[in-house]
Amino acid sequence: MQLHLLNRSVASSHVYQDALRAMGDDDYLLLIEDGVYGAVAPLHEHFASIPGRLYALREDLASRGLEGRCAEQVIVVDMEGFVQLTEKTERSVSWF
Amino acid sequence: MRYALLVQGAPYSHQAAHSALRFASALIDRGHRLETVFFYHDGVYNAQRLATPPQDEPHLIEAWQRLHHEQGTALLVCVAAALKRGVIDERESRRHDKQGHSLAAAFELTGVGQLVEAAMTHDRLVTFSP
Repeated sequence: MQLHLLNRSVASSHVYQDALRAMGDDDYLLLIEDGVYGAVAPLHEHFASIPGRLYALREDLASRGLEGRCAEQVIVVDMEGFVQLTEKTERSVSWF
Repeated sequence: MRYALLVQGAPYSHQAAHSALRFASALIDRGHRLETVFFYHDGVYNAQRLATPPQDEPHLIEAWQRLHHEQGTALLVCVAAALKRGVIDERESRRHDKQGHSLAAAFELTGVGQLVEAAMTHDRLVTFSP
């Protein structure tokens, strides 16, 4: 079980495709920094293949004026939630 | 758990250092230990002794130093990445016949082998990239 971190917007980088290809069936994906743009409709549709395993960092949503504009399929976590995700996954992989 | 962070983004250029510092304080709040931060690539600029941000902006270099003083966090800087960017301690400055040094207190120049060791000896390694 791994945690994947994506800090690029799907609108500006294709690295999210590499992340999705690399993800195992029980892996999680957390959108941070500019990655959180992918949590807003219709961009969230790029992550349709990982239902229930897509997270976005609240602080980075808020700093971009996107808090409350997330697609409902996205699980929003704060920094403590980020730490909790690293607790329950053995490794993290950063995509950038 | 014992955490290590890898920071590869320059301060004030990318969000990496901000994200890493906020993650650091959150993991400490949850009762974990931040034992090591490794600075690599442009992340070595986080160790600039002469960095002087405006008073109304976060002082990232001092924030790292606070972690060292309050938590005992080792602040390791890749020596190869640092020297070629002009981040140099007194010893290397003498060795290369330079005037002055630029590595901030509490940071130490180390080899990249220390990063591999951190990955093996800590429970978690989280990378913050530009």
